Amino acid sequence: MVGLSAGEKHFLQGGIAQDLRSDGRKRLTYRPISVETGVIPQANGSARVRIGATDVIASVKAELGKPNPLQPDKGKVSIYVDCSPTAAPMFQGRGGEELSTELSVALQRSLLGGKSGAGAGIDLSSLIVVEGKICWDLYIDGLVVSADGNLLDVLGAAIKAALSNTGIPKVNISAAASPEEQPEVDISDEEFLQFDTSGVPVIVTLTKVGRHYIADATSEEESQMSSAVSFSINRHGHICGLTKRGGAGLDPSVILDMISVAKHVSEQLMTELDSKISAAEAYEAES
Amino acid sequence: MAGKSATAPTTYSPSPSQRKQKPIFKDVDWVRPDGRGFHQCRPAFLRTGAVNAASGSAYAEFGNTKVIVSVFGPRESKKAMMYSDIGRLNCNVSYTTFSTSVRGQGSDHKEFSAMLHKALEGAILLESFPKTTVDVFALVLESGGSDLPVVISCASLALADAGIMMFDLVTSVSVSSLGSNLVIDPITEEESCQDGSLMITSMPSRNEVTQLTLTGEWSTPKIHEAMELCLEACSKLGKIMRSCLKEAASASQE
Repeated sequence: MVGLSAGEKHFLQGGIAQDLRSDGRKRLTYRPISVETGVIPQANGSARVRIGATDVIASVKAELGKPNPLQPDKGKVSIYVDCSPTAAPMFQGRGGEELSTELSVALQRSLLGGKSGAGAGIDLSSLIVVEGKICWDLYIDGLVVSADGNLLDVLGAAIKAALSNTGIPKVNISAAASPEEQPEVDISDEEFLQFDTSGVPVIVTLTKVGRHYIADATSEEESQMSSAVSFSINRHGHICGLTKRGGAGLDPSVILDMISVAKHVSEQLMTELDSKISAAEAYEAES
Repeated sequence: MAGKSATAPTTYSPSPSQRKQKPIFKDVDWVRPDGRGFHQCRPAFLRTGAVNAASGSAYAEFGNTKVIVSVFGPRESKKAMMYSDIGRLNCNVSYTTFSTSVRGQGSDHKEFSAMLHKALEGAILLESFPKTTVDVFALVLESGGSDLPVVISCASLALADAGIMMFDLVTSVSVSSLGSNLVIDPITEEESCQDGSLMITSMPSRNEVTQLTLTGEWSTPKIHEAMELCLEACSKLGKIMRSCLKEAASASQE
């Protein structure tokens, strides 16, 4: 919990009302973003993203598994977020567990699309190796190293960066003796397939403080929020997921207004993130 | 030994993959499995006072979805809790092991408790019971689709039955997007092959949205349409819930 005095609260709210926040930003500007890729050598793909003082690491691991009999033509993706108590003492015990589940569910909702797989940021059918027999299981893990507000947006950005850094090994299948048997596979450790991340959305959280909404709230600003809505928006400007946080009610027309603002913000964030990711990958290739 | 194990009778287990061929939902003129129109909700059955031991309780039945919610308290917060000048709300949603077609499948909805909490917290006047806790326990007896919306609506009815002060009743409705169609109040079959879903929880007479979730890819006009559809259904559901409470109140007076 952030303890703020009455004067500080007033200063914060007054600044937001006048479009000049306490760190000098406008209402809809993000803090500086920094991206590093390939930070975890054991993983198939990884990235560390920092926005202001919020710092997260995302890793992607791929393992061979069996597809779900109900969906034989799709691979599996699981997303899990860990809020380590090293980041903040309130993450210890149940508080951290609750936050972890909330973030994991929100990320699953925005990245995995509907039950039929439509509108998913990660194309599950590209993970299949042999239909009904072998598929890739992607394990996406997020770790919160330091928390200063806006965790969901940063985690979304880190996962996007980690996925674009992911190389999935090429698999050679030797013909199985009979269709009943599990085919033998040979995983190549030289050839990797790049993962298509053009459909992965970015997450934009608009936090409502007073009558205005702000993007990329710090934890001080979050302590003053009445409610917040996270939008995940893809390259085409379509909404892929939406989660409301905070207890206070919102007028339906406010939500629709927030959607159009979030779309505008997401375009800028998407461009900035794309250039940061490609710069990070170029740097990684050099060194 | 090997021969014996081969002849041993195996337990019968219904395999869901061998069900009848999936109905085709993408056509323009398909009929919903239960014969409803696209924008028609399931018939709702609501009753208060389902559990005697609770300070308030409600039972809701929407088609095959059957839910029971009991409210305990306000009672003294646990000693370990810090002092708080507003009341606490504690919510828990659980599934019976026999609620789904495969036994014990309902346990993969850990987030429902937190979502129920968020949906209700904005509607309750927590200032009216400082230092105390209100417990809301929901049990899904049978899961037949749109479980969370039913749980939320039923919980607000139980809270009203317990006499907890609220700004308004909380009602909740979800829509599924199947191909180009929007289908309100989906059943499990429809939910399992939906392209996206949107759930709205609102306080109808205040025209406020307390909880909102969306999955799948949506364009803005479609969100507009779905939200309008949900809000209209929410206000209708609110009227039904109100009349249910009035009925219970007039019956107790007699």
